This record gives sequence, C-alpha cells and structure tokens, in this order.
Amino acid sequence: MAPAEEAGGEFPVGMKVLVVDDDPTCLAVLKRMLLECRYDATTCSQATRALTMLRENRRGFDVIISDVHMPDMDGFRLLELVGLEMDLPVIMMSADSRTDIVMKGIKHGACDYLIKPVRMEELKNIWQHVLRKKFNENKEHEHSGSLDDTDRTRPTNNDNEYASSVNDGADGSWKSQKKKRDKDEDDGELESGDPSTSKKPRVVWSVELHQQFVNAVNHLGIDKAVPKKILELMNVPGLTRENVASHLQKFRLYLKRIAQHHAGIANPFCPPGSSPKIGSLGGLDLQALAASGQIPPQALAALQDELLGRPTNSLVLPGRDQSALRLAAVKGNKPHGEREIAFGQPIYKCQSNAYAAFPQSSPTVGGIPPFSAWSNNKLGMADSTGTLGSMSNSQNSNIVLHELQQQPDAMLSGNLHSLDVKPSGIVMPSQSLNTFSASEGLSPNQNPLMLPSQSSGLLAAMPPSMKHEPVLATSQHSSSLLGGIDLVNQASTSQPLISTHGGNLPGLVNRNSNVVPSQGISTFQMANNPYLVSQNSVGVGSKQPHGVLKTENSDSLSRSYGYIGGGAPLMDSGLLSSQSKNTQFGLLQNQDDLTGSWSLLQNIDSYGNTIGLSHPGSSSSSFQSSNVPLGKFPDQGRGKNHGFVGKGSCIPSRFTVDEIESPNSLSHSIGSSGDIMSPDVFGFSGQM
Amino acid sequence: MVFMQGFLDEQFNQLEELQDESSPNFVEEVVDLFFKDSSRLLTNIEQAIDKYPQDFYRLDSLVHQFKGSGSSIGALRVKNECSVFKAHCNDRSLEGCRRSFQKIKREHATLKQKLESYFQLLRQVGPREYAVCSRK
Repeated sequence: MAPAEEAGGEFPVGMKVLVVDDDPTCLAVLKRMLLECRYDATTCSQATRALTMLRENRRGFDVIISDVHMPDMDGFRLLELVGLEMDLPVIMMSADSRTDIVMKGIKHGACDYLIKPVRMEELKNIWQHVLRKKFNENKEHEHSGSLDDTDRTRPTNNDNEYASSVNDGADGSWKSQKKKRDKDEDDGELESGDPSTSKKPRVVWSVELHQQFVNAVNHLGIDKAVPKKILELMNVPGLTRENVASHLQKFRLYLKRIAQHHAGIANPFCPPGSSPKIGSLGGLDLQALAASGQIPPQALAALQDELLGRPTNSLVLPGRDQSALRLAAVKGNKPHGEREIAFGQPIYKCQSNAYAAFPQSSPTVGGIPPFSAWSNNKLGMADSTGTLGSMSNSQNSNIVLHELQQQPDAMLSGNLHSLDVKPSGIVMPSQSLNTFSASEGLSPNQNPLMLPSQSSGLLAAMPPSMKHEPVLATSQHSSSLLGGIDLVNQASTSQPLISTHGGNLPGLVNRNSNVVPSQGISTFQMANNPYLVSQNSVGVGSKQPHGVLKTENSDSLSRSYGYIGGGAPLMDSGLLSSQSKNTQFGLLQNQDDLTGSWSLLQNIDSYGNTIGLSHPGSSSSSFQSSNVPLGKFPDQGRGKNHGFVGKGSCIPSRFTVDEIESPNSLSHSIGSSGDIMSPDVFGFSGQM
Repeated sequence: MVFMQGFLDEQFNQLEELQDESSPNFVEEVVDLFFKDSSRLLTNIEQAIDKYPQDFYRLDSLVHQFKGSGSSIGALRVKNECSVFKAHCNDRSLEGCRRSFQKIKREHATLKQKLESYFQLLRQVGPREYAVCSRK
C-alpha cells in the first residue's frame, strides 16, 4: 500500500504509522503529532497486540515506531520480529539516550532511534526511512547476492564487523558492494521497477519456503550461499533473486545475532569475530528451525536476543560466559575475539546439505533438534571435532552451534561465531552447557566442566580437520540455541547439528550442568580424530565418561555423522540426543580416542546433545547426507538431540530462557516455549 | 507562562502548538492523562522502594517510565529529578533513592497544582486569550 496512493499521490501524506508504547501520555502526544504531520497514525500500548495487528495486515503499515522499554515485550525484540517477518522500517524511541542502548537499537536493525520527548521535526522526517527501505529493496533485487558475499568476506572481528554487517543490512550500504555482482538477475519479476514507489510485492516466507531456503543454503554451504544459487536450488517459480537475497540477509543477521548472543554473554554487542558467516549459519539454522516450525517464536526471539547480545533472561548461565570465552579463547582461531564462541566453525561447509543435519521434520522433540542440524555437513560433525574442537580449529566451523547450545546466551553467540567462522559443519550447540563443557575440554582449559563429553559434541566435533564433516554438535540440549538451532536443522537438511557448543565455548559447554561429561559429548569429531578436542578438547575426551558415542548411534554417527547419535539419520535415536546420557553419539566411536578428544562424538549426555557428529570412523560427513534429523534427536529427552550444545538446547536464550538449565530444555526450549513449532519461529511466520 | 517557568520546558510549548480547532483541549487532555498514569507509577515506585531486598534494576526501570512520561508533557523538574534518582539506583544507594523520590513526589504535586491553576485560568480567560497566553 503506497501511502502515495492513498493520499492521492502526495507522499508522505497518509503514510501509515503504527506507534507502540506502554506510556499512554506519550502515545497520545505522538499520535497527535503524527496526525499533525498528516500521517495516518495508529497507536497500540502493547507490543504483542501490535505484532498481531501487523501479522494480520502486513501491508497495513508503512513504518513502526516503538518504545524500547515495554512490559510485555522488549522493544528490541519487537524490532527484530518486525524486521524479519514483515520487513518494515522500525524506529525506536526511548527516554534513554545512552549510546550503548542506541547502538543496540541500530544493531538490531532500527532505522532510527529517537530520544524522548520526540519533537515534531523528527517525526516529520520519518517518511524518509520508508522510502529508503523501499529503495534499497529494489536495489537489492538488482544486486542480489552481492551482499552475501560481502558479508562473508567481511573480516570477522567483532563489533565492527557485526556493526557493519548489521548496518549494511539496515542501510543498504552494501549496495555498493552489490553493484559488483551481476545485476541482471531476475530483476524484478516480483516488483515494479520504480524504486521510489515500487512496492515490491512482499514474498511470504512460509515455513515451507523458508525450509527450502535453508536447505538450499545448507546445501551450498553458508559460505557459498549466494542468492542466485539458492534461488536455483530452491526452484520456486516466481521467486526472485532479490527475494532470496533479502531473506538471506536477514537470516545472516539473525545468525549473527544469535552468535553474538551466545558469545555475548560476555560480550554483548559484538560477536567475536562475528563474521557474517556466523550470522548466516545461525541464521540458517534458525530459519530452518523457524521454518520447520520447530522453533517456537519465543525461542527464536530468545535466540535472537542472544544473538543480539541482548540481555536475555534466559539462558545466561553464569558459568558459561566464562567458559565460552575460554573456549573461544582457546580456539584461538576463531575470529571471535571475545566471544570465542566461534568455536563452532560453522559446519556449513558441508556441502551436501550439511544441514541435512537438520532434521527437518523432526519436530524436534519437543525441544529443538540439536543444533547440529545446523551444522552442515561440514559442521564439524563429521570431522570437526565438534564444536569444541573446532574452536580451536579454525577449520571447523561447526562449533558455532555449540555455542549456541550452551548457554542460551553464550551459546548463541558462540555458536554463531563458529558458524560464521567456518562454514563447514554446523556447530550444533550441544545442549547447552554440556557442550560447553565439552568445549572447554577442548580448549586448553580443559575444564573439567567442560566435559567434552557432554555436549561438546560440538566442540569435539570440530577437529581441525573438520572441514567438511558436519559437526554434530548435538550437544545437549542447549536450550537456547539448540532449540532454535535444532529446529533449523531439522528443517534443513539432515545435518546434524553439531552442537556447537562443543567446541566453542569451553565454558559454555555444559555449563549448565557442570556438564555432564558423561554424556558423551558427541564430539563430532568426525574423523575420529580424537582431536576433537584435539585442539583443546583433548582433555575433554577423557573427561567424559561416556566418551563413547552411543554405539547405536555411532553407527549412524560414524557414517552419517550428521546425526550424531545413532546412525541413521540420526537424530532420532538420539543421535545427538544422547539423552541417554552417555550415549555417545556414534560419532566418535572411539571413545577412547575420544577421550582425548571427547569432543567427538561423545554422545551428548542426556541432553542429547551428543553431537555425535564426528564420526569416528570419519565417516564423516556421512552425516550430511544422512540428513540426520539432527534436530530430531531421538527424543531422548528433549535435550537430546539437540545437537546443540548445552543443555537446554542451544536455542537462543530467548526461547529457552528458562529451559536452558534443564537438559531437556532443549526440547524444552523449543517446545516448551510453547510454541516452538509455530512457524513463527524466528519471526518468520511465513511471511517475510 | 511566567509562573510556569522552570517547571515546564519546550515540550509543553510543542503540545500547545498542536492544539487547534480539531483538538481544542488537547493539552489539558494530555496533562490529565499524565497525572492519572503517573500516580499509578508513583505508587509502584514507592512500593518498590520499601520492598526488601531492594531491586534497583526494577526501581530504575519504573523511574525510567516515569521520566519518559513526564518528558512527554515537558515536566522539566520532574524529569531532572528522575535522572538524579536513576543515578542513585546506579550507585545502589537506597538512601539516595529515598531522598530523590521524595523530591520527585514534591515536584510532581507542585506541577499538578500549577497546571490545574493554569488551565483554570485559561478557561476563565477564554479561548482567544488562551491563544495569547499560551504563546506567552
């Protein structure tokens, strides 16, 4: 609906503005001011109500103005959701003028940030945001794909990177980069050519469509997922490259945020080395998860929160942060600086749908399928010693996930990083803490906590060689991430999510529980490298009692690795979920070996995080192909397959918020949040 | 509005400028809205202060709301005192918070009285004069 049309062509007259603020005085004043500007103003005092209104009528509004502090929902959260679901410009406002808060708003994608009391002059200019966004979207279509690449190549370095990528996304500054790309890609099947007034018809990103998207991305590997190729893979008639590009952008941001979040427990705003990759990985997973409807919106939100480094009430596991950091530190290679979460080198690498790990269907047991799903084949799962291991391994990108798993916050951030870091293998955050611990094990710290076994699946999984093997981060159900991530995995290819935790955050893994080492961190270790931890995890392996990946799973693990847990497309048996505590995921079959590297396949303990990815036999990556339903972890308990690290599923804290603590939280977070399965997860209610 | 000086800032002027034939009592309506909402907020703050153990985070959040609300009508002194209160929260000084809260209450009450008088005056003066007065 173009304001212009309604106003008889006199844009911005009649522009539809939705104002959300719990303060009635402010609402009244703003409404009057907006009317004075000749806009069409609607006020709403509850964020949840506003979201409903928006969902019911996407085209009903041109711009949203939202307060930051609201009782029913955090303004930043609303911001994210609106950006993801409806792609409308959102302006934040608050009496709080602190720079860090303002920065947070920008990072979350706000078009602008107004300080209360808001003046008329400021309101008069808000139409520019609407126009700019439309304009950018148009351009995006022309250059779709360029953004992606640029994101990826962007150096991961924490704040800057994140900021820049976020900004890019938000401002379209990437446009210049895009220009480099071919511009003739479907230019506009869906949209009119006129930038200023074109209202590109919005593509509704339904769960199925998103799932296809995630699958495609997984298949290509987060690094190589360019809109053009994604579009080709998806093969959806009527879908343009621009649509894909903008969706991908969002996805990346999301992932990034998640990573940040996890990593950010320590470092809220900047995901260490949050390279775009992480974002993409995370995003992929999340989206996949979301797409699969597995991730409950809450989880998604939590995940998003985490990513964004927003204070999430959930997950934050005290221990995690540190561990995560340690882990991260350990890994060294991770681009992340502080967060370290990177450990999870994104498993995306896995070519064949590393995502396969994501059990698409697996409705994630309640919880979220272990992140591992994310990890694309590469994810560490297979060879990546789990995320944990990966941490140190730059190679494994699997870990990313496990970060997620671990701590709701930490995990996410961590994972993301890892995700970014390495496209390979998705790090599935093993159930929350578990993975962390695992990861710790990996890291030189070798934290006893770390118990690589636990969730470290992720970590472990990321042995240096991980490269392509998907790391199964299945670490325990990291509630936060996993929840989200698992879903993703599920949605996407069967990639077993290798709990990212695994490798990344040393502390993260298993933080929750002191990591239950017994779980058997599913270190992905794919190649049986005990290295899982080889990098760091070494110690880890030993820690875990289980070390051994579930035999049963191990079968699958070894082969498909993708599934951490038991052979077969894993997930179910807990592929990752080793709920059974000690199920070690098959990944590392060699338990003993693992011990050193616990990371690998240790089945994730009860959390199910076993990420088993690392197939001991290095069957590596079979994972990927196996589509292990990572997410699906056999229900071991929710947490089981989380693939994610840590307990409670890596799902971004948002989701799991409270779940994280419990091993089953993963599933918990996902499911328990009550709506994991709603396609809304990730804010994608099917519509983008 | 000389007698209002110091109590209200430029925001109040903005509100008055928004008032016109289509919304002739806009300013008074908004002010009423504020006082109704603010007494609720003040009660919440008071309860939170007396609660033990103190939750400074929540206190800060409540006062932040109050501050935002007050700033929307241009309540300058109230707004400033809220900032002081928030600083005390930051320092976790309960005593500082208590003192500051008393000031906030006083400023709030004073403002309320003054605005009531002001609107009464405007009504007495009549619409035309109101326009004149409001522009100072």
